[in-house]
Amino acid sequence: MMNSTNRPGMNEMVNELKARFNVEEVTFVQDHEAHVDLHRKDLHEALTYMKQNGFRQLSAVTCIDWPNEKIFQLIFNIYDWSKGNRFIFRVKIDREEAMFTTITNIYGGAKYYEREVHEFFGVVFEGNDSALKQLFLEQWDDLPPLRKDFDSRAYSDRKYVKREYKTSFGEKGGEPFERN
Amino acid sequence: MAKKANIKKDKVKKIVIDKSKSIIDAPSGMFSDKINEPFAHEMIVSKDRSENLTPKQRKRKWKSMANYFSANSLWMLMYCTGCCAIELPQAMTSRYDMERLGMGPMATPRQADILLITGYLSLKTLRRLIYTYEQMSEPKYVVGFGPCTLNGGIYHDSHAVINQLDQYVPIDLYIAGCMPKPEAVMNGFQDLIDLIEVGEATGWKDYHARYEWYKQNQKEALGEVMIHDEFHE
Repeated sequence: MMNSTNRPGMNEMVNELKARFNVEEVTFVQDHEAHVDLHRKDLHEALTYMKQNGFRQLSAVTCIDWPNEKIFQLIFNIYDWSKGNRFIFRVKIDREEAMFTTITNIYGGAKYYEREVHEFFGVVFEGNDSALKQLFLEQWDDLPPLRKDFDSRAYSDRKYVKREYKTSFGEKGGEPFERN
Repeated sequence: MAKKANIKKDKVKKIVIDKSKSIIDAPSGMFSDKINEPFAHEMIVSKDRSENLTPKQRKRKWKSMANYFSANSLWMLMYCTGCCAIELPQAMTSRYDMERLGMGPMATPRQADILLITGYLSLKTLRRLIYTYEQMSEPKYVVGFGPCTLNGGIYHDSHAVINQLDQYVPIDLYIAGCMPKPEAVMNGFQDLIDLIEVGEATGWKDYHARYEWYKQNQKEALGEVMIHDEFHE
């Protein structure tokens, strides 16, 4: 982790962001990559500003579940092809009422990323109605599966038939392994 | 060199059809040794003998011949589901050369004989797989690769991946290994050919016989087998 970098464009961009928006924390992961923790109300303006200043590509939108803090952390990964710089914006939203305004009017490609985040975490993106449709999981009938409180094994045990074995291959079952 | 030439000549002589004796005088060893059934020696069709056969015996004879020919010309559907599919290029290309077993790739399920299930299957894939399997013309055979098709493998506790494939479609042969090496793949294909030759690869008959049971399992896991595809609706 670094506090600053000599990479052209990076420090200037961070200073600009700090001056304009409510930036909570900036971490440099590599000399061309920075994590920026923003307040959620500033994200759309910040993304618009970044897009006007060379960051034309949205590489990914994803989410992290923090059940103890009761928040979802949304992650927006943007890239500048002219300088090779990458910024990762992180905002926190409430876990109980997981709502966020869509960014599809800034980056059109976010349509499917938002749909994926909705499917796996249950975050609703206002303004992107297509995000409510199913994408990977067809006819899903449980909690969104990438939430931490979803028990994958219990779901698998309940839904899929398991093969039964006469011998137990666990730690205590089966024959002990002898070393010379 | 001279000896080799002699052997070749002998082989050629054996295949020559002697019209006075029989319709086809096949060289010994042309048919698999595994056919140890009493009718196996009658594979060489004799004009006189065929008239003495009962209709049932004649049917069995034709069936065994059909098995022999279908075992030696298997087309496999190129539908790769999981990571074991990466072992197929080696098995197909010059080093192991699948084509010497008479196997070749086929792009459409309607003309394919074998369905290779190469690894794990998510529910979304399973829906498409059932569609594909039911489109294939009979006789059809299914080969399961790796432990994922057997008991879920390393994905046994995943919410997305089914555990036992033989609950949903009948499997004729499993190939062990995670992933199976090309040697194992070739060995498995040879075993499948042997099974077909003796008429023991009867998974597709089982699918007819226990159709209700298979459909029940499919519905339990999938909810609905029907595919709702937004890009085609």
